[in-house]
Amino acid sequence: MPFSFRIQLFAVIQVILTALFTYIFVTNEYRDLSEQNVATLESFLIEQKQQELKNYTEIAKASIQHIYASAAQDDENAQELVANILSTLIYNGHDGYFFVYDELGTNIVLPTEPYRVGQNYWDLLNDKGEPTIQILIENAKNGGDYYRYPWNQPSTETVTEKLSYSDFLPKWGWMMGTGVYLDNVQQQLNSVQSAIDEHTDNTRFIILFVAMSSIFVIFAIGTILHFTQKKETDKQIDQLGQKIITLQEDEQRHISRELHDGIVQVLVSIKYSLEATGKFLARENINKPQPLTQAQTNLSNAITEIRRISHHLHPRILDELGLSDAMEALGKEFSERTNIAVTITKPSLSKLLPDHINITLYRVVQESLMNIEKHAQATMTNIDLAIIDDWLTLTIQDNGIGMPEINHDEPSLHTGIGTRNLAERVKYHRGQFKITSSRKGTSVIAKIPRSAFAHHYTQQQEPIVSETV
Amino acid sequence: MKPLSPSPIKIMLVDDHPMVRDGLSACLSFYVDIDIVGACNDGTEVLNTTKQCLPDVILMDISMPNQNGLEATEIIKEAFPDTKILIFSMHESAEFVKNAVHSGASGYILKDTDSEEVYQAIKTVAQGRPYFGSNIAQMLLTNSNTPSNERLTAREQMVLSQIATGQSSKAIAQTLNISVRTVEAHRRNIKSKLNIDNLAELVRYAIEQGLVKAS
Repeated sequence: MPFSFRIQLFAVIQVILTALFTYIFVTNEYRDLSEQNVATLESFLIEQKQQELKNYTEIAKASIQHIYASAAQDDENAQELVANILSTLIYNGHDGYFFVYDELGTNIVLPTEPYRVGQNYWDLLNDKGEPTIQILIENAKNGGDYYRYPWNQPSTETVTEKLSYSDFLPKWGWMMGTGVYLDNVQQQLNSVQSAIDEHTDNTRFIILFVAMSSIFVIFAIGTILHFTQKKETDKQIDQLGQKIITLQEDEQRHISRELHDGIVQVLVSIKYSLEATGKFLARENINKPQPLTQAQTNLSNAITEIRRISHHLHPRILDELGLSDAMEALGKEFSERTNIAVTITKPSLSKLLPDHINITLYRVVQESLMNIEKHAQATMTNIDLAIIDDWLTLTIQDNGIGMPEINHDEPSLHTGIGTRNLAERVKYHRGQFKITSSRKGTSVIAKIPRSAFAHHYTQQQEPIVSETV
Repeated sequence: MKPLSPSPIKIMLVDDHPMVRDGLSACLSFYVDIDIVGACNDGTEVLNTTKQCLPDVILMDISMPNQNGLEATEIIKEAFPDTKILIFSMHESAEFVKNAVHSGASGYILKDTDSEEVYQAIKTVAQGRPYFGSNIAQMLLTNSNTPSNERLTAREQMVLSQIATGQSSKAIAQTLNISVRTVEAHRRNIKSKLNIDNLAELVRYAIEQGLVKAS
């Protein structure tokens, strides 16, 4: 796995973990907070209700005080008057009313359901399974207290939670109470809860969104980085490859020169010394000894052989006469060997190119001719070198069968390492390299911009001109 | 000295390898009608040495540091048109021979030629006839069908580059240490080879071909 991908993966995992942690943490915090809020709100609302109930009870007690205070323990008239007053105290629509039971659970006042008056509800169990009336009476006797229980709500005819306060009228043994239904409290709490939930959902969404977009950005940046890096690496590899080729050519040129200008010249001088020896012997009327003849022959062979090696390493003609003539020599040699006719067009000027461009284009011709010889089945080849419109253009064209593998511009793997190599080398000189092929033949085109060599000739000449002066 | 050669042929050897020069001298010293009057090892020295020893024939190597034998040949022929130049080189391809002829050489032999043949070549060239080594002559025959491209010689190309940088014939003559007439001759040759008849075109051509940079 490439390094950049590992970093990318690490970053993505980091983001996912952070997002997950934040998500869980925030959600928990929100839940706790909302539960607290709701609880606080609820106790506040309940407290309000309790205060309200107590106030109602006080009002009710005040409204019966004038009768109750002066009435006797068994004053049935007074009791009826009080019961009447309490049945008329209605608030909150129909849901706020007073109820009265005696301490044995017999109903005395129940304005919403007057038919229940006189019946005993001591054993009545509510939906929670508690004896409602007993608890209310118990609370009343203990000096008044609140009780929450499920109860039928008159306005909606449904069982709703009810909060009641009951007080005791000790003289008559009456439990007097009133209650509020908590449905609106529950509604308020619900709406608060749903507001909080909505908020939580929003936060979750934001966290998810941020996480997702972070991952996306990481991937995008990573990918861009990866590709720029790859491009950079490719470029460096190309440059390195070119450097190696250049070094190799330089080295070959160097060895070739050493052989041609050093060793061969020494051998030539030995050859003439041997000849001089022969002449000396002849003058002295001594027959030329056989080993001397043998040495001369061997020496000639050695010279030929070393020259062949030297030429193979680096064509010396390229340095001495320039690309045009080197190309021509190559073409002639090719033509003689393969019987494929070669026509060469070349510019009137010579030695315009620096060594590296020279050898590159020379290798293009060499490689192309080799390909033609091996694959093209051609009978004719044109080599054309010309400077047109700011470009030095080298074209090698044949009338062979073409290259079936390629019919597009870019040299592909199929065209072989040699050709790819050439393309790289040409591009190194800011040039262009192109192979087109059809059934009528192949053409290899290498172009070098004039700016790559424009000043070379004059620079080359300057030291010589000044020396001549 | 044999009486049948009243004045021996004065020759000069130009080769950057003293050993080769010595070897050849040793061989040629057996021929009485040849007199080695001078030697030098660099193309840039040739003109001065020639002025000093006035040879009839110069044996000229091609590959030499600073200035190669072909350029040196042209320079000698400018100053001493009567001096014969016999190229004496390691290079075997027809291109070298053709360039040598364009530069004004009278003959071409390879460096590993037997001294007997070298002697024959010197004599032939001194008599004003061309001489090409047996294998060279063979090569020229097989290549004779190629049309002689109107190519500039090294010297002409140098003159063209100076014309293109705006130098007058006089200035060029001074720079190259030749007469104005020679420069004018080069100028005519260049124009006729390139089929161009005015200066502006000439400059444009030199820039277009990348010979000089547009200033």
